[in-house]
Amino acid sequence: MNLNEKKVILTGGARGLGRAMLDSLLDRHAKVAVFDIDAGALAILKEQRPEVNCVECDVADHVSVVKALKHYHETYGSADVLINNAGILYSAPLVRISMGGIERHDVAMWNKVMATNLYSVFYMTSCVVEKMITTRTKGVIVNISSISSLGNAGQSAYSAAKAAVNALTVTWSKELSPMGIRVTAVAPGFTETESTRQALSESVLNETIKKVPLRRLGKPEEIADGVIWVIENDFFNGKILSLDGGLVL
Amino acid sequence: MNEKLYNILGTTLGINVAIISDDLTMRDVETWDSLKHMELIATLEQAFELEFTFEEIISMQNVAEIKHILTQKGVNGKI
Repeated sequence: MNLNEKKVILTGGARGLGRAMLDSLLDRHAKVAVFDIDAGALAILKEQRPEVNCVECDVADHVSVVKALKHYHETYGSADVLINNAGILYSAPLVRISMGGIERHDVAMWNKVMATNLYSVFYMTSCVVEKMITTRTKGVIVNISSISSLGNAGQSAYSAAKAAVNALTVTWSKELSPMGIRVTAVAPGFTETESTRQALSESVLNETIKKVPLRRLGKPEEIADGVIWVIENDFFNGKILSLDGGLVL
Repeated sequence: MNEKLYNILGTTLGINVAIISDDLTMRDVETWDSLKHMELIATLEQAFELEFTFEEIISMQNVAEIKHILTQKGVNGKI
């Protein structure tokens, strides 16, 4: 797919990795709508890139998604591309042993990670694909997965959510390919973003970097390049593109 | 005249061509579910080099209607 003038919905595009994806999409003259929960970040984005359609939306909330997409579809028609990027990085083991004893994984955080990283993908994709099919739009869905989908110690909820995203990528590609809709995913390894710095301590991060064969974190623009590639390559379907510097968990 | 269409229906739905008639509907064929319907539509589009609208896809739930829509699209002679 040539992205020139194509309508793209990007979730979580106001900051971090999503922002790098947004810049790459705009470089290719795509018409991008950013769905993001962060009103402050959206306001800054609108100032910097007035051509972007900024939509305040909690993609983890089904009602919010349905309402925002109804308005989008009534205004612009079907999107050509959906990039499910919104998510939160959260690190916690199943049980934590400390000086104070043993503590189970927080249930509220489990639910929040699942809602933001997994349910949002289901909510957004079901609504967007419904419109693609009724208008016979041959679109592309890109899910942002993670190397943690392979199972990363200390990230129970995050790993489970991303593994499920991979499963949905394969399942949906099989279901939707006959209608001309491709479904793909990009799975970044550890990347130089604010959320990575917040989720991992300096010492853990340094140890992680030592395990990466390329001995560095990925750059957001390198992940964005991968997203652009899976959109533009019309034969890439039902697969997860790993961008992790060769790291094996 | 119906050979090409019937062969596609038989192969895609996994049914004997001999049981296919105009009266055959989605309800009559266990394998003809939503996913098979999309596969059938994609196969017909490729075979007859055309594209159905969403409304046509929804209405193509029996053999008579499939023939009717194909005929409307000018492929009668090739069905």
